[in-house]
Amino acid sequence: MRTLAVLMAGGAGTRLTVLSDKRAKPAVPFAGKYRIIDFTLSNCVNSGIYDIAVLTQYRPHSLNAHIGIGKSWDLDRQRGGVHLRQPYQGDNADLDWYRGTADAVYRNLDFIQEKNPDLVLILSGDHIYKMDYRPMIDYHLQKDADLTVGVMEVPLEETDRFGIMTVDDEMRVTEFHEKPKDRDKGTLASMGIYVFNTDLLIQRLSEGTPDRPRIDFGKHVIPDMISQDKVYAYPFEGYWVDVGTIQSYWETNLALTYPETAQVLNLHDPNWVIHTRSEERPPVKLGPQAQVANSLISNGCVIRGQVERSVLSPGVYVSPGAVIRESVIINDTWIGPGAVIDRAIIDESAVVGAGTYIGYGDDLTIANQEMPDKINTGITVVGAGAQIPGGLIIGRNVLIHSGRLESEFPGPEIASGETV
Amino acid sequence: MRVLAMIMAGGASESLSVLTAVRAEPAIPFGGKFRVIDFSLSNCVNSDIYNVALLTQHMPRSLNEHVGVGKPWDLDRSQGGVRLLQPHLGPKQSGWQRGNADAVRRNLDLADEQRADTILILAGDHIYKMDYRPMLRFHQQTQAQVTLAVRRVSPFETYRFGIVSTDPDMRVTGFKEKPRRSRETLASMGIYVFSLPVLKEILADEHANNFGRDVLPRIINGFNVFAYTFEGYWADVGTLQAYWEANMALLAETPALDLYDPDWVIHTRSEEQPPVTIGANAWVGGNLISNGCVIEGIVERSVLSPGVRVAAGAIVRDSVIMNDTTICPHARVERSIVDKEVYINEGAEIGYGVDNVPNRLHPDWLNTGLTAVGKRARIPSGIKIGHNVIINPGVQENYFRTDFVPSGESIE
Repeated sequence: MRTLAVLMAGGAGTRLTVLSDKRAKPAVPFAGKYRIIDFTLSNCVNSGIYDIAVLTQYRPHSLNAHIGIGKSWDLDRQRGGVHLRQPYQGDNADLDWYRGTADAVYRNLDFIQEKNPDLVLILSGDHIYKMDYRPMIDYHLQKDADLTVGVMEVPLEETDRFGIMTVDDEMRVTEFHEKPKDRDKGTLASMGIYVFNTDLLIQRLSEGTPDRPRIDFGKHVIPDMISQDKVYAYPFEGYWVDVGTIQSYWETNLALTYPETAQVLNLHDPNWVIHTRSEERPPVKLGPQAQVANSLISNGCVIRGQVERSVLSPGVYVSPGAVIRESVIINDTWIGPGAVIDRAIIDESAVVGAGTYIGYGDDLTIANQEMPDKINTGITVVGAGAQIPGGLIIGRNVLIHSGRLESEFPGPEIASGETV
Repeated sequence: MRVLAMIMAGGASESLSVLTAVRAEPAIPFGGKFRVIDFSLSNCVNSDIYNVALLTQHMPRSLNEHVGVGKPWDLDRSQGGVRLLQPHLGPKQSGWQRGNADAVRRNLDLADEQRADTILILAGDHIYKMDYRPMLRFHQQTQAQVTLAVRRVSPFETYRFGIVSTDPDMRVTGFKEKPRRSRETLASMGIYVFSLPVLKEILADEHANNFGRDVLPRIINGFNVFAYTFEGYWADVGTLQAYWEANMALLAETPALDLYDPDWVIHTRSEEQPPVTIGANAWVGGNLISNGCVIEGIVERSVLSPGVRVAAGAIVRDSVIMNDTTICPHARVERSIVDKEVYINEGAEIGYGVDNVPNRLHPDWLNTGLTAVGKRARIPSGIKIGHNVIINPGVQENYFRTDFVPSGESIE
């Protein structure tokens, strides 16, 4: 059985706001030293799948640099290995960007045909989970299915966030509803993980017409296949999160500092290593006054202040007297003496001046004025390379765009919900 | 100038006790995630020297695995790169090496093969950051045939080094190996630059087996020998005390050896390990802690390698703990060097008491209060172990006859 994995890594992830300004969502740093895509890529190689195509479109540079030839995942291989596929122009292809997940796969059909696998495993590059795909593939073969969709139980009140599958006793999918408003469709949510028989995938993607387009798997391809092909649901039990929003990104990072999550998403498991391109960094240095509790601290950090319930990526410097609470701080950010950071996400290489307070005030509900739908849970977001002057007071739900210089800050106080 | 660096990595270094019982000295973990050899190797590549040979003899396996094809140092090259040279049999130069000069003699054919004209001899067991290029330039400018790197040491420490005397132009005029008292305080660092024809001529003498003891004293009169002064941090970690001190020196707020310098990265083969996880009741001020560690207890003034687990209620102080060692609840480790994969059961105390009885079997190695625990040893629960104790690699719980091991004892 030859399986080709196709990772969808082209999405813009706009709900992550400034975190995905300069990089694709799968390349956003996560859990300190990892990037989101590491989980899916590691799942592939840990499941014995060494033939992987990564489809990119939005800001691929960071992803290209991260994956490179796939060395960190042992994917630098003679046969198979990892292929980064960009949109391209050709003689008969239409001159447009990918319009959706199915469209992206359709435009790479030549690659799939050349590889000629028996099965195509379609994966999303922006989910955090550990999953062995082999049992799912076995299941697909046992059921003699044309398509198997990975599903998991979600709480009834959240069914409107997912594609919900209705199945019969044999787990054959009978109905599919994308983000249903009604609560009567069951609680099996599609994880965006599909096993296709290659022939059928090619056939179904090729028969698109203007009124029955083949742009998105969830919207077009799968609903169409349920009526005519053998579509089965494979139930996955385990930890799985889509870190698509600022709130879930922050929550999922912080959850790793709790022992309960650390058990279900165990990063220390020697039998299921999450591989990543590690930078060469010295060990964490903790100064004599450092106080750290419930935190994940990566190599290259120097901690001389206080860190609580936070996740720090490599190379973060926390000056004496600084306090970091419930925050995610990404690579090489410098936190000045006496600064306080509360409920914030700070992207890489930012500078927080001495004595600045980020996340000031008790009212978490004043949503960001520029992006009220994205930043509204009290988390302040600071973009990469922003240089925040000293002595500032910055409220909740504030958005500071990447690369802002000291001179661009309006005054000593930035109220909750403002944007710089 | 075509330089070949030869790093001496074959010595047995017995005074490092349990650490070198299972590996070559250059392969000993240092500063958390590094190994001792990383410093010399990184110095080479940071000095643009990409042609490096490692001369091994004593327990090389761990070193072979660590260096491999040299990938972390970008030494996996088609021209030059790193070579691990083992003692070998053959028609000429056959058999074990009798000293560092003998080791070089047996591998001199490599210098011709690589068309090198200058040989840089380095020790694999020194902790320092040094750009070798100014020294090589000095060697060229002074038209020296041999150049030694030297540094000033305290007059009380001259007995540990080869002491050099020079004229005002830094030409070497005298050399004394480990003098008790000396008016000169320029110590040789075991770093030499030789012009290849000169090295061949010197090593043609079959009795020249050791650079410090045999070679240097003899060549001072016949050759152009110069001394190049190095000013910077340098430590020879050849004893347990020196090894422990060099680790502890990294804990200073501004350590003499800066590992965080982006312009002089110390490269190493990093394991894939998650970030350090620090629990709710942990206390971790004043440490160096590597990725993969899980800290629930109290750790103070210590250096922890990747994957060390310190359970709740456990205390680690003034210690060096190597990879994947587990310290169970309420265990205490003080002033100890604990090798890899050691399992310290609940409530065990290592470094117990305030006495300082030197180790009875090896009073010369272990006499400063440090206790050394060998690789994969298992320490029974509730036991008390004093100072200057040696616990050999692989010792099991049932090797301990009593629940108290007084200072100076050894368990094997």
